[in-house]
Amino acid sequence: MTAVDEPQSYSGTRKGEPDKTIEEVWAQPTGLRWWSSVSHRVVGKRFIYTGFAFFIIAGFLALLVRTQLIVPGNTFLDNETYNQVFTMHGTLMMFLFAIPILEGFAVYLIPMMLGARDLIFPRLGQFGYYCYLFGGIIVLSSFLFDAAPDGGWFMYVPLTTNAFTPGVSADFWLIGITFAEIASVTAAVELIVAILCARAPGMSLTKMPIFAWYILITAFMIAIGFPPLIIGSILLEANRLLGLPFFDPTVGGDPLLWQHLFWLFGHPEVYIIFLPAAGMVATILPTFVGKPLFGYGFVVAAVISMGFISFGLWAHHMFTTGLPILSLSLFSAASTMVAVPTGVQIFAFIATLAQGRPRMTTPMLFVMGFLFIFVLGGLTGVMLASVPFNWQAHDSYFVVAHLHYVLIGGMVFPLFAAFYYWAPHITGRMMSERLGKWVFWLMFIGFNATFFLMHVTGLRGMPRRIATYPEGIGWDRLNLLSTLGSYILAAGVALFIFDFIRHLRHGERAGRDPWRAGTMEWLYPTVAIGFNFHAIPPVETREPLWNNPNMLGKNAEDVEGVMRKMHDGRRETIGCDPVSGSPVQIVRLPHPTFTPMFTAFALAVAFAATIASAYFVAIAGIVAGLLGFTIWAWEPSDSGVTRDAGMGYVLPVNMIEKRSHMHIATVGTMLVLYALLGSLIFALLYLWNVYPNFAAQTAQPNLLWTGLSMLAGLVLLILAMINRRVAVADKIGLATVMNLAVILASIACTACLALAIQRTDPWGTALGATMWATLGFVALNLFITLYWALFNAARKVTGRVGAGQSLPDFNLATYAKGTAVMVLITGGLFLAATLGGLS
Amino acid sequence: MTALGRQVWGLTIPAVAWAAHFIAIYALISAACAPRGLIDIPLMFGLGIVATVLFGIAALWPTIRPPKGAALTGAIRVGGLIFAVAILFDVLPLIFSSGCGG
Repeated sequence: MTAVDEPQSYSGTRKGEPDKTIEEVWAQPTGLRWWSSVSHRVVGKRFIYTGFAFFIIAGFLALLVRTQLIVPGNTFLDNETYNQVFTMHGTLMMFLFAIPILEGFAVYLIPMMLGARDLIFPRLGQFGYYCYLFGGIIVLSSFLFDAAPDGGWFMYVPLTTNAFTPGVSADFWLIGITFAEIASVTAAVELIVAILCARAPGMSLTKMPIFAWYILITAFMIAIGFPPLIIGSILLEANRLLGLPFFDPTVGGDPLLWQHLFWLFGHPEVYIIFLPAAGMVATILPTFVGKPLFGYGFVVAAVISMGFISFGLWAHHMFTTGLPILSLSLFSAASTMVAVPTGVQIFAFIATLAQGRPRMTTPMLFVMGFLFIFVLGGLTGVMLASVPFNWQAHDSYFVVAHLHYVLIGGMVFPLFAAFYYWAPHITGRMMSERLGKWVFWLMFIGFNATFFLMHVTGLRGMPRRIATYPEGIGWDRLNLLSTLGSYILAAGVALFIFDFIRHLRHGERAGRDPWRAGTMEWLYPTVAIGFNFHAIPPVETREPLWNNPNMLGKNAEDVEGVMRKMHDGRRETIGCDPVSGSPVQIVRLPHPTFTPMFTAFALAVAFAATIASAYFVAIAGIVAGLLGFTIWAWEPSDSGVTRDAGMGYVLPVNMIEKRSHMHIATVGTMLVLYALLGSLIFALLYLWNVYPNFAAQTAQPNLLWTGLSMLAGLVLLILAMINRRVAVADKIGLATVMNLAVILASIACTACLALAIQRTDPWGTALGATMWATLGFVALNLFITLYWALFNAARKVTGRVGAGQSLPDFNLATYAKGTAVMVLITGGLFLAATLGGLS
Repeated sequence: MTALGRQVWGLTIPAVAWAAHFIAIYALISAACAPRGLIDIPLMFGLGIVATVLFGIAALWPTIRPPKGAALTGAIRVGGLIFAVAILFDVLPLIFSSGCGG
């Protein structure tokens, strides 16, 4: 195929590589440039392999814990080391294994399942991966400095404040994990946009593979659920570095505020981990039953319900903290209620099983293991939702047993099913069925031996996190058996690793669609080309490979579809309407680049330097990161032309309207930012409501400057609206003027807000500190608005933007509007404090 | 708006209604039971019932009258029911408790 089909001349838009074929344009870089790859296949695999490496490390730490507890009075680990080991076990498993590896699978699979040639923001994927890798390295490197965190994976205050945890161990956790969380949030925004904006022609929301629904809801949950922890971590780090008293009860702070912020993240986190894994089950199960998933619509409804209701459960981790009984009852009710959508999914899986005679392959065994173990974990979850029982079982090994039944049953078993199921897709070879069954039974028996007994250990009163215990109080034999069980479980994992390495050379060749699956990732032969589709086929059903015989009936590259011609020698895929799936644009995709990696590295230097108190280096890292983002975005625009996409579609390239993938990404980013702001407002209202005496001691904001800040916010809002209209009208000169106006309004907003609370002492009361933190967050957004407007103006002044290329201004308008509303909300809160008083 | 678009709204509205109701109930309990004591128990109860009726109707509406189009009707009905029951669950503590309970 020739690469170029009469490329038109138009200003600013790159011509790509006109002499290359489509295979060459999409070829993966080799040698050192392999690190510059932005392909979702490469990035997805990196997430999976890195996540698995963290799993092995965290699993090894778990074995140390179990070995310490094998007999009473053991001195294998001293108390301090034991605290470090169980803290790092939980931290690595929750933050650096579970979510990243599931996101890795989503990054790898979603484009192929939906009919896209790549993820919609490939550079963002690469950036997210390196943030994750560097963040993980920062956290792990704490061992090298003998400063591994030891405050538990939940980092409760006041234990983790300077008074009780001097040194930098807590800083390693707070900074490293926050950095790694950037990867999760960026991947979430990318997955939301990819699922909504880059599907095959005709793939409406109701025709999406069920896995895409699970990932879509999970991504929204990450976007809303991670911000409370990010804010909490920043507040705690500010407490440690600057002495700001957010959690100090002597000046109106509250350790429970940390718990609220942590569990506002921490409980949805459990469902963020469970849902993608359940999505894997819902994908694998129909393949081996040979029938579609039973009750697709019911499952979609259940997943949406679970996504929402899981945000109403956070305080059930705080039943023993002295909250009002009425609050406990509310959270108890919500915690019980979440069992309903969970049950709907489980019954849908069982009904799918009942539709046919399943093939009991290794992936299916792990799916059955999931059903058995997760249901038990769910039932003990309902028990723990009951306040009186929770009071008895709290912080005992019963809870340890429950959470491992939920997380290992609900996530690790489906994950191993996924390893066996999709390994042929990744490596081109089948893993051993015989060894796979051994792996399953070792893991299943080992898991139950380890954790089932812990229910009993907990009911006999053994508390969590103790480094040792006296003999003769009924815990000895149970702990011994649990430890032996953990070794069996580890043997299963070790055998899996052996099988995986073995199959890379000696596994049977997989061929095309080896499991007879119905979803589109199996359209091409395994270990395919560097991209996904020569032509993107129209999709009319949820199992296109089952229902469209043309797909597997001919060579994959010959399947009919859109985008067969490559016009400008550029990587591109089809963009769709978010609801109907109708093609609406051609999306241009970037080629391999090191820029995101260097940007992530610069930020990693900034974060690491902060831990080392090398603040000039930290500032240099931030400046270098900003420069990286600038270089990243300083590229010719692709908008402004239309191209023939085939099959009767003539489509704009990177269209300028609300359904554009970049605009939806801007809205998605605003969702994350509002969740961050919401967390700060929660903190403000919480401290104001719980400590009225200290609120009364906080200086009120200045009425005049507060009013002026709201006026400036209103001006910014109006300017943003005008900016949108100017962008749509494509008036380049006027748009430059509007950019400058936005810059001035942003400066005015920041100055007025700061002057409004200039008399408020951030060290005087926790409420005052939180007011300044809120101001800092809004000011950061105003700075981004300012920088973006400056950037857009500079591009126009230097002639980088031509006619029909106003997409950056269109998106800036949305961001500026969102920021202006933040100013109005913050100004409104300050105004209420001024008029109503803080007392 | 297309039929499918209306159906997506039919899926979303009960979820948003539940979220708004949960926040309302949590806020009312916090307003009545925290040291500041912004409102008293009868007012908390009254506002809670009003919020439950309003948001309960919003959650159930797509179940009673699902938007036209067959593709997501089952999901809309099930989702609306789950969220309506969840709204009922969340208000039960207000109904069965006589006060903040310590």
